[in-house]
Amino acid sequence: MTTAETTSKSHRGTIFVEDAEILEQFTHPADQFVLRVRAPRIAEVAMPGSFAHITCAPGLPMRRPLSIMRADRDEGTLDFLYKIVGEGLGRLSQRRPGDSVSVLGPIGQPFRPDPERPRSLLIGGGVGIPPMVFLAEHMAAGTDSGWQPLVLMGSEVPFPFRLTRVGEHRGLPGAASAAIEDLQAKDIVSRLASMADLDGCYRGYVTDLAAEWLSGLADKEIDEVTMFACGPTPMLEAAAAVARRFGVPCQVSLEEYMACAVGGCAGCAVAVRTDDGVAMKRVCVDGPVFDAEAVFPPAA
Amino acid sequence: MTTARNGPPPSIASSFCGLHFASPIVLLSGCVGFGEEYTRIEGFSNTDVGGVVLKGTTLEPRLGNPPHRVYETPMGMLNAIGLQNPGVEHVVSSILPALDFGETRFIANVCGSTIDDYAEVTRRFDDSPIDAIEINISCPNIKEGGVAFGNVPEMSARVVEACRKVTGKPIITKLSPNQTDIQTNARYCIEAGSDALAVINTIMGMAIDAEKRQPIIGNVQGGLSGPAIKPIALLKVHQVYQVAGPLGIPIIGQGGICDTNDALEFIVAGASAVGIGTGLFYDPLLCRTINSGIGDYLARHGLEDISGLIGSLELPGPTGAPEVC
Ligand SMILES: Cc1cc2nc3c(=O)[nH]c(=O)nc-3n(C[C@H](O)[C@H](O)[C@H](O)COP(=O)(O)OP(=O)(O)OC[C@H]3O[C@@H](n4cnc5c(N)ncnc54)[C@H](O)[C@@H]3O)c2cc1C
Ligand SMILES: Cc1cc2nc3c(=O)[nH]c(=O)nc-3n(C[C@H](O)[C@H](O)[C@H](O)COP(=O)(O)O)c2cc1C
Ligand code: FES
Repeated sequence: MTTAETTSKSHRGTIFVEDAEILEQFTHPADQFVLRVRAPRIAEVAMPGSFAHITCAPGLPMRRPLSIMRADRDEGTLDFLYKIVGEGLGRLSQRRPGDSVSVLGPIGQPFRPDPERPRSLLIGGGVGIPPMVFLAEHMAAGTDSGWQPLVLMGSEVPFPFRLTRVGEHRGLPGAASAAIEDLQAKDIVSRLASMADLDGCYRGYVTDLAAEWLSGLADKEIDEVTMFACGPTPMLEAAAAVARRFGVPCQVSLEEYMACAVGGCAGCAVAVRTDDGVAMKRVCVDGPVFDAEAVFPPAA
Repeated sequence: MTTARNGPPPSIASSFCGLHFASPIVLLSGCVGFGEEYTRIEGFSNTDVGGVVLKGTTLEPRLGNPPHRVYETPMGMLNAIGLQNPGVEHVVSSILPALDFGETRFIANVCGSTIDDYAEVTRRFDDSPIDAIEINISCPNIKEGGVAFGNVPEMSARVVEACRKVTGKPIITKLSPNQTDIQTNARYCIEAGSDALAVINTIMGMAIDAEKRQPIIGNVQGGLSGPAIKPIALLKVHQVYQVAGPLGIPIIGQGGICDTNDALEFIVAGASAVGIGTGLFYDPLLCRTINSGIGDYLARHGLEDISGLIGSLELPGPTGAPEVC
């Protein structure tokens, strides 16, 4: 098999197109924005790891993929966090409350928590932070595992969240004393890492912080850990390496340039290792979440 | 031009190479996978289009090109997928049986790197429920094939001839704009047995990251599609219609169609059906809008169906289009 064509019909009608009203657009330092739109049908079924394909502005017809950071079923709203890269997100940042944007979603295979390995370690870097917020809040809202996820975030620019000071957490260095207030309020432990000397942050890569926490666990505890990561490719490769070192399964969310985002064009395909050899899988519908081992196999 | 018409509302259905098309819209090869991908979207239905052309299919499976494979350019996009497909055997045995042929006409898109390959893939599709076969002599992405066949009229004709021998199903030959004389190519393909023509495939282009001084597309070059190529596509349809129209050979006009007016322009230029690819990436529910737009236009112009509109372009002088500007 070289591809993953869709032949069953169970997927029909699972993605929605909504003309979504912009409710809020918050500006954060370093060209970061948090956008809230009303898209009730997408909000109803979105899962952590799924994303939306958004028309940023009139006259710029190609959509841009953005991870869903929060989906509020009751309010029918979606939150996105993005950082301006080029024209598309730059023009999206100029849209104002009351404007409408076309949102296609939810798209993609979400993260798959493993009930056998309930100690979830979530690692988000830069614009890979949003799906980790969604996953953490989703896990915390569920009562089954008895475990709260540990969320580690890395950024080289100020974090686009309100932060709070917290005490030491087992296995984590005391220098990591800042946490995300919203997560803290939900009893979710979060800690931050940065190379940019940000106040309260562990100085180093977020994956180093993850390794430090893992090395403090007993073997029996390690056997209960699953890692989830989203962020720039070098961070994902480092996360995959940490996971391999500790023998922990790791799921990563990938990015690739997209056109259709519904599996039609194969424009977003990346090489993935399968039992039958290398296959080109579409990040949009076969991903964006893949097993780290399949996309970042150990160097030969 | 506007004439009121009594009687039943106009129909957007037509017959294309003897196939019933519920709408003049055809979804284009490479943009809708193997027919099921867009049905993920609520409100999208294959029943809204006349036909769906499946992804380019080769004899052996192909992994395709490395990333990046797509990139937005002003009013268009570049693609270099590299004909990723699971091979004709898998398509015929596993994918076609799962398609609902009651919904629309499914058309194969055949590619090869030798004439024998083209003939063999066509032969396999001939022995399948597929409704028609589009020959992609113009695929611009494959180093060892496409470009050479589609750009030389004699070579194009040899491919069509070889495929004609092995199938009784309608053959649509898809012409490349990356050649100097598309009219001669069209004539050769018709003489070789093509029942219809698709005009045009993508135009080769590239994009560069100046900071990194690297090409953005993994394959270095890619095919340009979308609104940016529409004026070129319209002219090519107009030119090919002058050859194909008198012989009764229908054309699927394509290149940048994004709304009703675009579709109508292609029909007026000579297209019997209109292809939509990139436009779907922008608005996945475009087909319904265009269907009702065409219906409204026909009603406003007192037309029963699109047949009276095809090639109805009124040229300025008695000699037709000027040769030079
Ligand atoms: C599944 C997925 C989820 C994402 N989630 C987020 C998110 O939550 N927040 C966020 O800030 N960014 C996210 N991104 C990245 C974001 O899509 C790109 O930064 C954005 O498309 C850049 O568009 P632009 O016009 O501003 O930049 P330009 O560089 O001008 O874009 C040019 C073209 O390249 C494409 N492109 C450039 N960089 C990327 C990239 N990294 N990934 C995909 N396409 C790219 C654009 O879509 C556009 O077609 C995500 C990407 C994917 C694939
Ligand atoms: C992502 C992509 C993949 C394509 N793959 C094929 C293909 O496999 N075979 C083919 O004949 N044409 C292929 N094409 C060309 C289209 O079928 C169509 O002719 C072209 O894109 C022009 O129409 P548009 O501007 O509406 O997209 C592809 C186009 C795109 C954008
Ligand atoms: S973007 Fe078209 S298949 Fe993923």
